[in-house]
Amino acid sequence: MTSTMTAVETKPKKTLLETLPQKLGIADPWVDMGGVRWLNPGALSVRDLAKGMNAVQARFVTITAVQLPADQGIRLEYHWDLDGQLLGFPYQLSANSIESIYDLCEAVDWIEREIHEGFAVDFLGREYEPLLLRQGDKLGVNLREEKK
Amino acid sequence: MSYTIPMGPYHPALEEPYKLDLICEGETVQDAKLHIGFNFRGIEHLAETRNYIQVIALMERVCGICSNIHTLTLCQAMEKLTGQTPPPRAQYIRVVIAELERLHSHVLWAGIAAKLMGFKTMFMTCFELREKVMDILQAISGNRVNYSMNRIGGVNRDIEDPQAILGMIEALEREMVRTVIPIFTTSTTATSRCAGIGVLTHEKAISCGVVGPTARASGLPQDLRRAAPYAAYSEMEFDVPVQQDGDVRARLLVRALEIMESCKILRQALTKLPPGELSTGDAKVVFTTGTATSRVEAPRGEVMYSVSWKESSRNPSRVHVRTPTFANMPAIRWMVKGARLADTPLIQASIDPCYSCTDR
Repeated sequence: MTSTMTAVETKPKKTLLETLPQKLGIADPWVDMGGVRWLNPGALSVRDLAKGMNAVQARFVTITAVQLPADQGIRLEYHWDLDGQLLGFPYQLSANSIESIYDLCEAVDWIEREIHEGFAVDFLGREYEPLLLRQGDKLGVNLREEKK
Repeated sequence: MSYTIPMGPYHPALEEPYKLDLICEGETVQDAKLHIGFNFRGIEHLAETRNYIQVIALMERVCGICSNIHTLTLCQAMEKLTGQTPPPRAQYIRVVIAELERLHSHVLWAGIAAKLMGFKTMFMTCFELREKVMDILQAISGNRVNYSMNRIGGVNRDIEDPQAILGMIEALEREMVRTVIPIFTTSTTATSRCAGIGVLTHEKAISCGVVGPTARASGLPQDLRRAAPYAAYSEMEFDVPVQQDGDVRARLLVRALEIMESCKILRQALTKLPPGELSTGDAKVVFTTGTATSRVEAPRGEVMYSVSWKESSRNPSRVHVRTPTFANMPAIRWMVKGARLADTPLIQASIDPCYSCTDR
């Protein structure tokens, strides 16, 4: 039997993680909270963030959509993995839309479509096909609002 | 002239409903479109209407194979929000159940893969072995599917006789070494159906963000048990099997080798099981306002839970589940491109898809 048993490199890229905010042009420091290293992206666009994460070979994990209370809109939390460290970048949406990063990061395809279907967030610059919803259902409807 | 052949949502090769539209020219698949959502149950929304005890039972039902993994990940996230740390014995028991679940999942998959190869004898052998793993899980938890082992701050049940479980593990390992692994790795039937088909290249595996055995079979050595250890994994010695070919055979080999690594972990966990309490106790659980995230290496790859809570609330305000199949399934499109139509059932099965998990 031929096989490769690889001891995974466990040493985190500490220097890379420490210098990442500077590389992305973010002044704020990392904040450790609830198992995630959070970084406030400030004015950094999500597309520039995606380019930065691709440059350091981080692995896209997911986007979590959170509906905030009292008409505060929706927050999208972009998660990447850098050598076992989960990184989080929150984006508060002002007009329920944000640029798509699908052309930069293929792995976001399904989660962008799912969030579009469940939270009516418009990811600008891409086309949608139904993912979880079936033919005849209306796309781009906030299901939570519908529930109310 | 190209034509489209639908596979699913109900098809003999699919264990659960989903649909592949295969665009073919002759017998060759040129492209594929995937359709999911046939099992969509709105579980994430439902979780927001359940209290911290009910939500554990609910999330255990996201998946019928890796039910324990879902409660483990959820409980780890809720423990971060409540400031609880499970005692060492509970952490070891969590490892034991997680590895038994991996064994059960991998052997189940091997059986299904054998069936799709037309290797019925092997299907029967794998399912007989799977029964033995199920027997062990039943002996520990009293349940065969939803084990109800995890709670906030620990586990619900003890492993009272680790030696007896060790004996069962050794018998299982002997059978794996004697039959399953040699047949899957050396037999002409398995090799001719699996080698060189359904290739996911290393580069495509990176760009699709695949996880678990699917990633490891394409040369990506990622495993959260190593990279971000949880429970008692930091105290276990094991290797992470990696293959470079990215084909169905590589995915088969990775899982076969992982079965052996799971047995190795189980032996260590059961031998070193520390004495002590099973949980932090029955004191009232108090949540702080915030979001906590937990990730676990499930049999199919990384599971992530993001849980948000408001102080003094009994229910979570948001539970987001990212399952491994949700990350792996889009890669099927690239695996079937250029494949023979007859190979597509086995190729799509080679990621060990769980549609129930994916749809939630």
